[in-house]
Formats: sequence, C-alpha cells, structure tokens
Amino acid sequence: MKALKHLFGVAVVSLALCFVAGALNNDYYLRIGFMMCVYYLCAAGMNVLVGFAGQKSLGQAGLFAAGAYSVALLTSMTSINPWLALLLSAVVAGVCGVLIALPSLRVKGPYLAMVTLAFGIVVEKIVTEWTDVFGGAQGIFGIRPLTWNDVPLTSQQWVWVGIAFAAVAHLLIRNLSMSRIGRAMLSLQADEIASASVGVRVYRAKVMAFVVAAVTCGIAGALVAQQNQYINSDFINFHLSIFILLLVLFGGMGNIYGPLVGAVALTLIDSALSSWPSIQHFVYGALLLFALYVMPAGVTGAIVQIWHRAKSKGRATNQSTAVSTESNITFPSCGTGELLKVEDLCKAFGGVKTAQRVSFRLQRGHVHALIGPNGAGKSTMINMLTGILRPDSGNIQFSGKSTVGLPVHVICSLGMGRTFQNLRLFGELSVLSNVMLGRHSRMRNGFLSSLFGLPSAHRQEHIARDRALSLLEMVGLAHLAHMPAGSLAYGLQRRVELARALATDPQLLLLDEPAAGLNPQETDELGDLLVKIARKGITILMVEHHMDMVMRVSDHVIVLDYGVKIAEGTPQQVQDNPAVIAAYLGTDEPVAIAA
Amino acid sequence: MTIALIQALLSGLAVGSAYALVSLGFSVTFTTTKTLNFSHGEFVSAGAFIGMSVLFLAVGKPLTSTSFGGVDPGALAQLSGLAAALAVMGLIGWLLFVLGVRPFARRPGMAWVMSTLGFGVILQSVGLAIWGPKPVVVPSPVGDDILHFFGLGVRPQELLMLSVSVVVMLVFDFVMQRTLIGNALRAVAQNPSVASLMGIPVTKMMIGAFMVSSALAGLSGFMLAPIAQASLFMGLAVGLKGFSAAMVGGLNNPRGCVIGGFLLGVLESFVNLWSAQWREVAIFGLVILVLAFKPNGLFGTKMVEKV
Repeated sequence: MKALKHLFGVAVVSLALCFVAGALNNDYYLRIGFMMCVYYLCAAGMNVLVGFAGQKSLGQAGLFAAGAYSVALLTSMTSINPWLALLLSAVVAGVCGVLIALPSLRVKGPYLAMVTLAFGIVVEKIVTEWTDVFGGAQGIFGIRPLTWNDVPLTSQQWVWVGIAFAAVAHLLIRNLSMSRIGRAMLSLQADEIASASVGVRVYRAKVMAFVVAAVTCGIAGALVAQQNQYINSDFINFHLSIFILLLVLFGGMGNIYGPLVGAVALTLIDSALSSWPSIQHFVYGALLLFALYVMPAGVTGAIVQIWHRAKSKGRATNQSTAVSTESNITFPSCGTGELLKVEDLCKAFGGVKTAQRVSFRLQRGHVHALIGPNGAGKSTMINMLTGILRPDSGNIQFSGKSTVGLPVHVICSLGMGRTFQNLRLFGELSVLSNVMLGRHSRMRNGFLSSLFGLPSAHRQEHIARDRALSLLEMVGLAHLAHMPAGSLAYGLQRRVELARALATDPQLLLLDEPAAGLNPQETDELGDLLVKIARKGITILMVEHHMDMVMRVSDHVIVLDYGVKIAEGTPQQVQDNPAVIAAYLGTDEPVAIAA
Repeated sequence: MTIALIQALLSGLAVGSAYALVSLGFSVTFTTTKTLNFSHGEFVSAGAFIGMSVLFLAVGKPLTSTSFGGVDPGALAQLSGLAAALAVMGLIGWLLFVLGVRPFARRPGMAWVMSTLGFGVILQSVGLAIWGPKPVVVPSPVGDDILHFFGLGVRPQELLMLSVSVVVMLVFDFVMQRTLIGNALRAVAQNPSVASLMGIPVTKMMIGAFMVSSALAGLSGFMLAPIAQASLFMGLAVGLKGFSAAMVGGLNNPRGCVIGGFLLGVLESFVNLWSAQWREVAIFGLVILVLAFKPNGLFGTKMVEKV
C-alpha cells in the first residue's frame, strides 16, 4: 500500500516536472533541467556506493567516460539503434564498475579511495592520448542522438527522457535500499567484520554497490554524449569525479532524497558560476571543506536533524525491561550427538602462542563454557572457530564438515552465530534492522528481485521482519525495535547482539563474554535466558569471567591457560582441579599440568 | 642500446627521487595521524609556484608573470626560492591540519578525504586565478646545458635533484631512527594515547608531521619545476605516483616508500623507452600486482584489527 502511494507520488511529481519543461521554451533553461537529471542519475547511484556501502570512489569520471565513449563509438561506427546503444553503454559501464571494485577485495579505506582516483586518471589519460580510437581533444563527432519515431529528440523531449530516467532510478534504488541488499550495504559500512559474521557476503555487496554507481554514471555519460552528439576528452577530468562525489555529500549521503537536493542545488550553482571557472572550482573546494564542517550529513541530514529535535522533545528514553519468561519461538532442530570437534588447533602471533594443540568436543544441546585467565587465548579460539582468524594448523569439524579456511559468511550460514567481546552492533541502524541483518543468510531475495521490488522479495522481508520481532520479544526488547541500536543502554545492546546472533538460526551459538559490563541482576537474567536458549536445542559455547554464572548454567567447562588446555569437565570437576586453581590463584610450587 | 638504458636509469632515478619525497610525505602523516593529504599533488604544484614567484621577484618581474624571458635569477635567488617554498609549504601544511584534518579525523566515513581534497581544490583555484593554466619554463639553478660524459647526456638539474633528495632522505632517516624527536614521532604512530601519557605533545607532533610532509611536497615541486615546467596540473600525476610508490613500498614503512619511489621512477623511465602512452598503465599495473600479492606493500607491516 505504502509502496503504491510512493509510486503514485513519484509519477505525479515527474509528470508535473515534465509539464513545466514542456511549457519552457528557453533552450538554456531546458539544458539546465537536462543536466539536473543527468547529475541526479550520477548522484543517485553514487549514493548507493558512498552513502549505503560507505565506499569512497574518486574515479566516477572514468565510469561516466565508459558510458559516453561506448555510446559514441557504437553510434558513430555502426548503425545500431541509439536506444540499444544506450543500453549497451550501461552494460559496458557496469563491467567497468566490476573492474574498479576488484581492488576492494584487497584494500580498504584510503587505499581504495586512492585506487579509484587512479582509475579515473588512467581513463582520462587513455581517452586523451589514445587518439586513434577516442579522438583525444578533437573528440568524436556524429554521435547519433536518441530518437522518437526516427526523429531526433527535441530539447524538451530530452528533459522528459531525463526525468523518466531519474524517476525510474529513484524508484529502483529506493527498492534496493529498503531491502536485504540495502541493509547489507549499510551494515558493511558500519562494521565489515560483524557484517560477515551475520552472513553478509561483504565483497559481493561491495561489488553490487560499485556496479549500481557505475551503471547510473554510465547512463548519465551516454545521455550527455547523445544529447550533445559530440564528446571529447575535456569532459572527462578529475573535477567531474569530485563534482559527482560532492553532489552526494552536499545533498546528504545515505538519504534517498540527498542526491536530488545535491543535483538541483549544485547544477544551479554550476550554471550560475559557469562564466567564472576559477571561482567555480573555488566554491567546490570550499563546499568540500566547509559543508562537511557545518552539515556532516549534508542538507537533508541537517533538515532531518532539526525535524527530529523538534519531534523528540519530552520523549521517554529506553527503560530497561525484563526478559520475557516464556516464548514459543522455535529453531531448526539439530538432533543430538557431537556438533563440533576441534583437533590440535595451533595459532601463534609472532612469539606469542595463543593456541597450542588445543582439542575439545562440543555436544549438541549442551552449554559449554570456555574459561581461563586473561590472555589465555579464549577470544582467539572463538575467532578461529568463526573463521575470522585462520589457525596455523589443526582441524575444526563442524557437524561433520571441516571449516578451516572457509570464509566467515559461509561458516555463519553453516550454523554458527556469534557475539563479540566489545559489542559490534550496527550502531546507527535500528534494533530491528540489526536483528533482521541476522536473517540475511536465511533470506532468499537476491539483487534483482530486491531491485524491482518483486512480490517474492516483499514476502521474504515480511517473514524476516516477523521472525526478528519475535526474537526481540524473546529478549524483551520488542518495544525498542525502532530505536537506533547505538542509543540503547549497554546491557540492552548486549541483548540486541544476542538476538542478532540467534536470528542467523545457529546450531552453535558462540558468546564472547556475554555478561561483561552487566550488573549482577542483569547477569542473572542473562543466565536464565541462556538456559532457555539451550532448551530450544541450540548448543552454546561461551567465554566468560563471571564464575557463578558459568558454574550455574554450563554442562561442561573447558579451561585454557597460555594457549594450552589445562582442564575440562563438569563445573565441579574443574573447580576441584589443582591446575585450574594454580592458573587462577597461583601457587608456590609448580604444578604438573594435566593435559 | 646500453647507453640508452643507462640514461633511462639515471633520469628514472631522478624522477623517482621526486616520487620518493612525495611518498615519504604520505608516509609521515599516515603513520602519525592515520590520515593522508589527498591533495598532496596540489601541494607539489604549490611548492613549484611559490619558489617560482620568489625567482620572479628576484629578477624584478611582478609575481604574476608567466615567463622569465631568458633572465637567470642566480644562485642566491634560487636558494631563497627554495627556502620560501619549504617555509610557506610548511605553513600551509599546518593550516591543512588545523582546517582540514583535525576537525574530521575522528569522524567516521573518512570525512578527511573530502576535506583535504577540498583544501587542494581551493589551493589550485587560487593558483589558477593568479597564474592561469599555462605552464611556465623555470630556469635551473645549475644551468640548462646538458652535461655530456661517457656518451651520456644528463641534465644537471636531474643530478641536483637526485643528490638533494638522497641527502634529505638520509637526514630524515637519521632523525627518525636516532633522535628523540624521531622516537617521539614513532611513538605517536604506534599509539597516540599512550604517547600522550608519556608526556609527548601528540598534537604538536601531528602538526609537525603535516608540516614536514607538505615541505617535502614543496621541495619535490621546486626541484621538478626546471625539469618538467611549472604547471598547476603537474602535481596530480606526481602525487598519484608518489602514493603508488607508498603502496608498493608499504605506507607505514618510510624506507619502503623511498624504495618504492625509485622503483616506480625507473620503471616509468624504462617503459617510456618503449612507449610513452603505456607509462601510467604500467605503473598502476604494478601497483595492482603488488596489492594482489602483498596488500601491505613490499616492505610494509600488517596492521591487525583486534576482534
């Protein structure tokens, strides 16, 4: 219903804009209108990359060039239909997007930004210097424009086409951003490690974001080339890359309407200053430097902030709530027997051996605890089990399958959910989104069905949402579902993380110090909750320092010290073990280690 | 053939020394502040133009001239030009830190990338407003006559640049490894909060890092101008290759950055013998190759994130 309303709204606005364009008879104004649409296209895709996936690209001019030159070469050298050429150039740009995304497999942050910058410069060099093909500064003439009934479009029709493309881009990107894919992109911007641990294929999500940005930018380039019927290397420069980025930053990244504001405002500034190019560049520089100062989230971000401040006056913030006593949520059953077998696992960081031939087994449906003094190698063990660290040697068998060397997201989808010692929530996303991200690997709607908002995608979203809500109910946070996760009290954030891990339908739940920072009452509640989770058939392995809780809830305790397993058994056996007492309290005489 | 190769090697080393200076500049700020100046290239151009303006004043021409008209400014003028380039660039580096880096360094999403880019765009448009886009031929302090020996022809400026850069890098290395200041800088690089607990003035160190980094960019611009002509656009390519050098050598290892700079300079020079167009492609190809196998560069150390 809401989707239809939005569709209707976009259609009305677009038609109104088309009508205005139709009434204009001034070619200069029509040209500005067309450029607004073109820059909106660039910005809308770029917003997916920068605002959602959090990847900086400083080489969009290269993708603009890919679209523009493909359409130029196609229409000037062959007799292909110009509309088909436009489509093909979008494909070429998309392929270039994959190309530019490749380095993101290996490098991050500033490195990646610099690599994309280099990509833009290389493309600029190629189109400038490879004159045999691209014509250099001479350019390519005779690009055939889009036609309607075999007649080239008029200035007004160009604006109409621009508006149509912009509206479609808006609708598709909005679908995408509200889907599983959009959530995954947002999550990897916040924390790639946490995102992989809930089953997001981090690299693939990045490539998707790059491709979306590349395709819209390529279409924009192709439209410009076809409208001008001419393209040369002067179009493609570093300032274009900066301008495209600025469109998003100024408008407000991460906001679906940010690019619109950016495109309209900056195109107007651009044309107002076009007779003084040096002032124009100065203004862009100043905007880059100071707009971020004043409005870190751009124009739309500033507006949203003022709006929220006005609205949230006198609103009660999150009061703590008890964990619901009974919940009828069920998890996929996984039988009995051995779930995880760790054999001779070794790991060393330089000279520090954090795991030395550690072996243990976990039984299905049991609560296991991994304890030991600080620096015993407990977190390292969890990180090796979940695939974040690769063991130097040894073997991990998870329900009969070796997981050594598998990527983090694959291990997650095999049924290993985890929480982190220092909380790795996606702080700016809502509690509900955090938990729904846990469903990521269990949802089936892919890129295309999300992009086009197909009914199957809606159904998947609906199911995931219901499941997430009932998990939140189980941990007693349903009433906070729409708060940003980062705004919750610490103890509640721990519960959100637990719910997120449970959402992955784990067979094995790995908890890295779940009670750290909780007060005694919260620790007790957590203990009850863990028992309840175990009763639903989920195996638990927790690293914990709160001994009373460990002894109360666990069936089996493993003790590590300096990377060596010094004891294991029932809580009572472990408590009586002299080696354990020595490790925790120290002794006067060395104790023979019982391995 | 051999002569051509040796000649290419020499000019490769000379250009490489400029890349090495720039790359060292990246390394200094990255290790101390975890940020980079994305407009480092514009700083190279700025260094060239500041030195050039002093030379213009010395020969009695207005600052905004665009040609020397064959007048040689003389050694004293050249020295003061160099001093001005270093000093003014140092100041601009300080300004960059205060305006463009410190307010954004802790914000998520690398806002500092944008702010340093913006700073560079402003710098460039100021330059364009004064001198316009045309390149200027700058006289070399050691003359423009090509030296001939053993059948080689070498421009004296190339030799000068190579030797000055090597001296600067040796001094830098000595300061970093052997002095208290160098130790303090390395401490800030390791862990700023612990460093500040040890009484090291962390902010001053960071400002110092940006000043040194910008002065190095200024130096390389000043030395490059007589070889390649001073242009406001010369910096972008130099800055980019300097960064590529840092990636090849390892951004967190200053010595690696220097080696990377020379390596890239020589590679570029050799590829140039064969085809000028493929120079850039070859360089970025090498960068991608290195990143594919050693993401932290040939001599860089891995940065681990604690989970």
